[in-house]
Amino acid sequence: MMNGLFSKLLRMTVLASKQLIRHRVRTLLTLLGVASGMFLFTTVQTMQRSLDKSTKLQASDTTLVVYRENRFCPETSRLPEFYLDEIARIDGVREVIPVKIAVSNCGASLDVITFRGVPADRLSNYAPEMKLVDGSFEAWRARDDGALVGKELAAKRGLKPGDAFEAVGVRVVVSGIVDSPLPQDNSVAYVHLPFIQQASKHGLGVVTQFNVRVNDGADLDAVSNLIDDRFRSETEPTSTQPEKAFFAQTARELIDLISFTRWIGLGAVLAVLGLIGNAVLLVVRGRVKENAILQTIGFPGVAVAYLVVCEGALLGFGGSLLGVGLASLFLKLRGLSFGNEGQVMALLPDASVLLSGMGLALVLGMVASLVPAWTAMRRPIVESLRS
Amino acid sequence: MNENNNVLIRCHELTKNYKKGNRLVTPLEKLDLEVKRGEFLALMGPSGSGKTTLLNLIAGIDQPSEGVLEVCGEDIGKLSRSKLARWRAAHVGYIFQLYHLVPVLTAFENVELPLLLSNMSRRDRRERVEHTLSLVGLDGRMHHYPKELSGGQEQRVAIARALVASPELLVADEPTGDLDREAADSVLQLLHQLVEEYDKTIVMVTHDPRAAERAGRLLHLEKGRLLETEAG
Repeated sequence: MMNGLFSKLLRMTVLASKQLIRHRVRTLLTLLGVASGMFLFTTVQTMQRSLDKSTKLQASDTTLVVYRENRFCPETSRLPEFYLDEIARIDGVREVIPVKIAVSNCGASLDVITFRGVPADRLSNYAPEMKLVDGSFEAWRARDDGALVGKELAAKRGLKPGDAFEAVGVRVVVSGIVDSPLPQDNSVAYVHLPFIQQASKHGLGVVTQFNVRVNDGADLDAVSNLIDDRFRSETEPTSTQPEKAFFAQTARELIDLISFTRWIGLGAVLAVLGLIGNAVLLVVRGRVKENAILQTIGFPGVAVAYLVVCEGALLGFGGSLLGVGLASLFLKLRGLSFGNEGQVMALLPDASVLLSGMGLALVLGMVASLVPAWTAMRRPIVESLRS
Repeated sequence: MNENNNVLIRCHELTKNYKKGNRLVTPLEKLDLEVKRGEFLALMGPSGSGKTTLLNLIAGIDQPSEGVLEVCGEDIGKLSRSKLARWRAAHVGYIFQLYHLVPVLTAFENVELPLLLSNMSRRDRRERVEHTLSLVGLDGRMHHYPKELSGGQEQRVAIARALVASPELLVADEPTGDLDREAADSVLQLLHQLVEEYDKTIVMVTHDPRAAERAGRLLHLEKGRLLETEAG
């Protein structure tokens, strides 16, 4: 019985598809409208999702950032490099690395280049998850002005090993392209610590921050307290936070900006709803007699309603395929990343955003068609035939 | 077969009224009628006499206000909307004056429509549609869209659509009203053939005396009442 019902639903779906395919211009225009809305929605959702990934702490997170107390910008956070050994001795610390950050723009920006100066001999221990996809570590170690460039930054700037590029008044040569499961690493360039220290006005011995890996995510609070307690009476006291909380604090401008886009996403959803609703309503109005004929030849009202809802759902789903597909292609090709106060957030569409976009458009298509479907199924046949 | 079993349509004191503004309109009033199986009945009368209302009631696309209406052994005045839809699918084929084919579907797809909600397999549906289109002489036009067909051919497709589910009863609302004489003759010949060779029962509303002549029985309606009965 279910098989028979499924088979009938499938035939009705094919019939609805024929109605759409054979009214090409109208369908194409509606699809383009839906696609535009879903493009916007996907872009906004990607921003929200990337922000969530960068700021919401998870149990598996084990990274702390040690910053100069009451400083929120890499230009003003200065810590002595010798803190390194003190931090490494604290219980619960697995690995620590000093980082000097040089950034092309401290404010919120879509086009920012961030250099992270790190000791060459510590990088592979500190970030074993980082994989080289092109070039070599040896070439980087051997060259003072060498840079390991994150894959997103490399793709955005069209960089490959051997290329030279300049930013923040610093000229470097690409030694390798790296890929990391941590999105931030893919949008920055790693250079030698002494090289970037010498290039800055603060000179050797001064770093922006320390990145600390703890043994267990549950120890984050305890270890951060121990670190801050250790340096509380020093002339450069520290403020230590989980990396994502640090991001949320320092990149407030960015977060405010992205939070606002939530409303744009909602607007896009409402626009899609209205567009499909209007398109389906016009279809039903133009097809009053046709629906009456279907009922005359034995289609029950619910089958006519199904056809209407099916058309709305197909318009929603088809438009979302186009919009979501174009948005992911756009974000992938453009390699967009937001930078703020030296923190970088890459806009990478993930499967959950794409699937939720398509699912949402399908549901929107169905919801927008409910009223026209109800109208179509309840209208008396004789009255429709006379219209 | 006894007399009762041989009656396909039975109307007793059939009344239809509806409100138009504040006015109660009664297009049919206490009408009594019986139509036997295999009959070809023509209904004539001036505009507003209730012909199409009677046809719509018999076809189950409208509900009577009072009286009894039994068609194909079912008191269709008492059926719910969904049961009535199932009943129409099984027992009635409707032929319209203006054909009313779905413009974006081919002749084949238009004729297949009534079978889409049946339990027939794709192959059985295809065979049935091809057979029906060949019966109406359109086997060479199966994949043409309505706009690529002449008026007479469109009406033949509409007749095939009405016939494809093998209903006992065909109702036709001025089936030749939009056709030239030659096409009209050809359609009437086809309807006559359906009664003679395939035992269909046809109730046809017409203004055309030439069409009425083809029917076995002719009824005149005026102001919602039957006036006289003639042999066709």
